[in-house]
Amino acid sequence: MSSRALECFLAKLYTDPIALERFFADMDGEARRAGLSEEEIAAVGHIDRAGLRMASASFARKRERYAPSRLHLGELLMRRWFK
Amino acid sequence: MAVVAAEEDAGAAVAVEDRVGIGWRGMLAASVFANLDRIDLIEIIADDHFDASSKTLRALRTLSDQIPITLHGVTMGLASMFPVDIRRAENMARLVNTLEPESWSEHLAFVRAGGAEIGHLAAPPRTRQSMDATVANIEQVSKIVGTVPQIENIATLIYPPASMLDEATWVSGIVDGSGCRLLLDLHNLHANALNFGDAPEDLLLRFPLHKVSMIHISGGQWAAEPGGDRPPRMRLVDDHLHDPPPIVYSLLTMVAAHATQPLSVILERDGDYPHFGALLNQLDTARLALQQGRDIAAQTSEAA
Repeated sequence: MSSRALECFLAKLYTDPIALERFFADMDGEARRAGLSEEEIAAVGHIDRAGLRMASASFARKRERYAPSRLHLGELLMRRWFK
Repeated sequence: MAVVAAEEDAGAAVAVEDRVGIGWRGMLAASVFANLDRIDLIEIIADDHFDASSKTLRALRTLSDQIPITLHGVTMGLASMFPVDIRRAENMARLVNTLEPESWSEHLAFVRAGGAEIGHLAAPPRTRQSMDATVANIEQVSKIVGTVPQIENIATLIYPPASMLDEATWVSGIVDGSGCRLLLDLHNLHANALNFGDAPEDLLLRFPLHKVSMIHISGGQWAAEPGGDRPPRMRLVDDHLHDPPPIVYSLLTMVAAHATQPLSVILERDGDYPHFGALLNQLDTARLALQQGRDIAAQTSEAA
């Protein structure tokens, strides 16, 4: 019960706060619209809800922490062009 | 470097050389160079250096001439139903060729899917299918890099949805299928055990300890679950911003008592750095924990 569709679905929940709230509002429907199998739909219906919220928040903090600032991005581009 | 005696299969006593080192971070560089006599090896985050200038690579090469180094990848996404991006494996191959580390490692995690970059390590559903896909990814990147990675267990705040296998069975299956050695992160194991109702010691003994070659030690902090329960339910977050707790050293002793192969321990610290002397003391505590484990093994062997 692992599929690329399930992995994409989880990645979406981990990175898109709106998708996460849509999922909590209609878990079965969102899983079905993501193309998950019946078995996977049943499995995500029993998802660790607290863990999902904590993991999503943790991933968001990591993305924020490691995101290059505009200045940093500019520096990186300069380095690539002129090295 | 701790040198201890362990029993070979044939019964003859042989020397086992355990080592203790630290993760290379820019903030710690000067202190690391000043204390190379107390550090056996250095772990370098590979992804930080894929675009490094030739000057930086020369500096790292100078470091690797003075002390053994190992490269650690964080963005390959080996544990995915999707094939690994070839460019990421090629980046690792170039760095391995340039720095000639004694080994390289990656996590058992997926980090992107469907165009979404998660930004960190996510645990995939633990199933036979994800196990097979991970082994296939490891085989692919090993061909490109030229050597097999050591593979690391990750911490997860969410019980991986749709899992059919427990963590130890899933990790063991990948280790067996890929022929890789295990980079065992003891704080990750500790956090997963506490967060999902297992005893850390029991979980540890279900891991393939005979396949462990490297070990990570680090710390974390407790965070309240959302939901407003009173008192709040807590989960342990592995953040690398705190000192390793005593249980991590106890688990290290357990590994050293059960494993006969040499072990290399890396202290991971990503911020909120204490005085470097405190980090050196943590390395010494790790050496002591290893020695205690080897002593237990020797006593057990003598008693038998």
